[in-house]
Amino acid sequence: MELYVALKLIWAVLLGVLLTGLGVMVGMDMGVGTLLRFVGRTDDERRAMLNAIGPHWDGNQVWFILGGGAVFAAFPTLYATSFSVFYVVMILLLFSMIVRPLAFEYRSKVPAWRWRETWDWAFLISGAIPMFVFGAAFGNVLEGVAFHFAWDGQYFQDGSFIWYVLNPFAILCGAMSVALSLHQGGAMVMLRTEDPMATRAKRIGSVAGWVAALLFAIGGVWVARMQGYAFTAPVDPGMAATPLHGPAVARQAGAWLANFHAYPEAWAFPAIGLLGMILGPVALRAGRPAIGWWLGALAWVGTIFTVGAAMFPFLMPSTTAPSESLTVWNASGSQYNLTWMLVFALIFTPAVIAYTGWAFRVMRGTVKTDAMTHDDHSY
Amino acid sequence: MRSFIKFVALAGVLALALFIAVIAGDDGPWYFAWLVGTTMIVLIAAAGAVLMETQVGPGRGDGEY
Amino acid sequence: MSVVDLSRLQFALTALYHFLFVPLTLGLSVMLASMETVYVITGKPIYKEMVLFWGKLFGINFALGVATGLTMEFEFGTNWSMYSHFVGDVFGTPLAIEGLMAFFMESTFVGLMFFGWDRLSRPAHLAVTYLVALGSNLSALWILIANGFMQDPVGAKFDPVTMRMQFTSIYDLIFSPDAQSKFVHTSIAGFVCAAMLVMGVSAYYLLGRRHREFAARSFRMAALFGVISSLAVITLGDALGRADYLLQSTKIAAIEGLWHTSKPPYEPWKIVALPNDRTQKDLFSIGIPYVLTPLITHTLTQPIPGILELEQKAKPRVAKGIAAVLALKDYATTGDEAALAAFRKNEKDMGYGLLAQRYAPGQDLAKITPAELPGIVERTARATTPNVFVEFWAFRVMMALGFAFLAVFAFGAYYSLRNRLERHPMVMRLAMWAIPLPVLASEFGWIVAENGRQPWTVFGWLPTFQSVSTHSVGYMIFSLVGFVLLYSSFIAAELYLMFRVARIGPGGPAPRPAGAGLAGAGLAGAPGLAEKIWQ
Repeated sequence: MELYVALKLIWAVLLGVLLTGLGVMVGMDMGVGTLLRFVGRTDDERRAMLNAIGPHWDGNQVWFILGGGAVFAAFPTLYATSFSVFYVVMILLLFSMIVRPLAFEYRSKVPAWRWRETWDWAFLISGAIPMFVFGAAFGNVLEGVAFHFAWDGQYFQDGSFIWYVLNPFAILCGAMSVALSLHQGGAMVMLRTEDPMATRAKRIGSVAGWVAALLFAIGGVWVARMQGYAFTAPVDPGMAATPLHGPAVARQAGAWLANFHAYPEAWAFPAIGLLGMILGPVALRAGRPAIGWWLGALAWVGTIFTVGAAMFPFLMPSTTAPSESLTVWNASGSQYNLTWMLVFALIFTPAVIAYTGWAFRVMRGTVKTDAMTHDDHSY
Repeated sequence: MRSFIKFVALAGVLALALFIAVIAGDDGPWYFAWLVGTTMIVLIAAAGAVLMETQVGPGRGDGEY
Repeated sequence: MSVVDLSRLQFALTALYHFLFVPLTLGLSVMLASMETVYVITGKPIYKEMVLFWGKLFGINFALGVATGLTMEFEFGTNWSMYSHFVGDVFGTPLAIEGLMAFFMESTFVGLMFFGWDRLSRPAHLAVTYLVALGSNLSALWILIANGFMQDPVGAKFDPVTMRMQFTSIYDLIFSPDAQSKFVHTSIAGFVCAAMLVMGVSAYYLLGRRHREFAARSFRMAALFGVISSLAVITLGDALGRADYLLQSTKIAAIEGLWHTSKPPYEPWKIVALPNDRTQKDLFSIGIPYVLTPLITHTLTQPIPGILELEQKAKPRVAKGIAAVLALKDYATTGDEAALAAFRKNEKDMGYGLLAQRYAPGQDLAKITPAELPGIVERTARATTPNVFVEFWAFRVMMALGFAFLAVFAFGAYYSLRNRLERHPMVMRLAMWAIPLPVLASEFGWIVAENGRQPWTVFGWLPTFQSVSTHSVGYMIFSLVGFVLLYSSFIAAELYLMFRVARIGPGGPAPRPAGAGLAGAGLAGAPGLAEKIWQ
């Protein structure tokens, strides 16, 4: 296989890994944020929940930032086009998301009811909306987005943002993403706090996991009947990275299942996802939150890679100019760039995983209310 | 054995520092200046505090800052 | 206002706002490491108290830096799609590496730094603090490497097939002189900001004769930290100026308000002037002769090109650039090899052709008639230089402030070292009032760097007006209004907390003293928060 093609493939897989990391780690923190008002009923309960993820939320959030940076570098045209096409939605995501770091750092620094209550609402908004947008983006991309390119590589939008918000399939995907984050957040609350938060988190988290499973199944049937995209002309995977003058692409109902028909082993991804979503809540109910957490992570792996397997090699198909759809082959960075990025990824990813693991180990154990209220730095 | 591993690890850090210094000194004079300068700033500020501990305290100074 | 103007306004607002907090993070993290070093060496608990207290201010400030940084990472894609497409292959890489190598490190260890005091040994915690400092400065390094590419695009080459700059040399990118001098100048400017904050707040305590032991030590460390940092920031700024003299003559000419090429060695350095960008003359100016040439060129003989001459020199490039872009468009639509060859001939001037599109009828170069051509070349050439008035004054304000800090730190350090500080309340008052000034100077520094780069986003290759996403004005108003509202409430909350923490002081009442309800913390009569059920 040509080196450039191999690099494009590796970066497509790494993109999936990044999105999975984002779902698992950021989703967990946002799940805790969404749960905050429902699971924590007194100030100390809420503080215990916040301190459960207090030492880690910042590091976890880097998955989100790295997601942006890595797409920028590895798939520049995808970054340039998708963020602009979804402008209003992306801005809403940003508005809700940027409140979160402040909510963590500022909430408990002033002992006033109104102040803390305001920030608790901020946690709800900045937990639920970004996860919803994250899921809805997958939904919209699966259905195709209205855009085309000019000769100089500038995109033009052919649709309105209203559709991306009201699209029923995208709403389903968004709801599923929120449900997964609630499950993951619930598992974390169970791991790091004591009763009564743990019991409440168990109840909500497990139901959320099963809701996710249900939505995933419905979504699967939906995708099978949806207008997918397929090449109708031969494709050169080693092609230069430009969306213009590409091979012809057709919209076909059921095209998103083509990869599964060609490679039946790909069915493993939806199976893993569904298994994680069904068994995760079982583990939570059995009082094994650690196992539930890992099964929730597996659910994310299954979900993201199911979407990836269905769409491959498409990244963002165009409804109005299908032959200008962005794919792994035509939206990637140059060979030199992908090579160097890989070098850096190979050196630093193990390091990141190692010190993140170490940080979690140092801070292991449940949050003790007493220690929390005495510590000046605690949230 | 433990101290040997420590020795090797420190030697590794030293070699890496030298390597970075050589590269930076050659092609990145400003990076090199930053490395040296920041270390110096940190140490001088720390030294100022340590100096204060010798200037004040029981039997020394007149309780004035 | 057009979408371009609104996008520029939004980017400038969000970047300037982000940059209110970043310098403090860069500097305070290093200062915390320095203080904790003293704690580990001497074992005196007062130094731990210092790390804890200044760490609290660091945390309040850090949260806003992180929050507003999120906007920056995504704004290239949401508002500058053409730019992102054009340079993503080389510009996105340092951003991605920043996340992977630096920001992960900073953010993971910052949690341990705040929460790990009881769970880590002293040396281990010190190592964590150093890693936070290293992480935040490495973060700045990669961001400024990316910015260095915008200022001086090295390490990449334009590719007519993919219509973008393609990465060719990571070595050139990292060791770009512009990136280097910019990183050192910016990072150390952050040190100055942090030193001034610590010194000013300490002075506030000393003036009120509160927390004296704590404040005197903090003051001493900050003053020493600041005096060397200000020296460094001035000399490194001079280095950056020289780098720009060699790489971006338009920026230097604008900074110095130099309409005509300088006549060494007599050429005066203008202290004050009122440059008029429309007539391209000064309304008046006062200068010191014989200073400019050695200041900028570090020689006595080399001339510095002036604005008018630079615009004249741009004219032939505009003409060639128009030919290049026409050939490029031909090649992009037909794939004709002859068109590619024609493009290659004038490739280096492509950016000037793209810039000329702005003045072409319907922004289409093909529609220019031979009669219109000289006029369009003239207008395009005139647009190749930045706004002189803004550049001239932003630079002077920044520089004057820089020297003022040096003086404040020097007096502070001198009296602190002799333990005679409390006899000079004027110095302490100065330090206190100077707290916001280094941040202000940093903002002006950003304006000098980025206004001076105009009209380009990628210097000489991609004009700003073309880099922008194809949004409607309505979208832009929506996002702009949202940012203004959100960011205003953020800064209100931030300042409220900063002042509150500073007023309470080190070792002050914890947010809720154990078992004491909230009576002591200003909520007299209110029921204890812990017992209050909210749902």
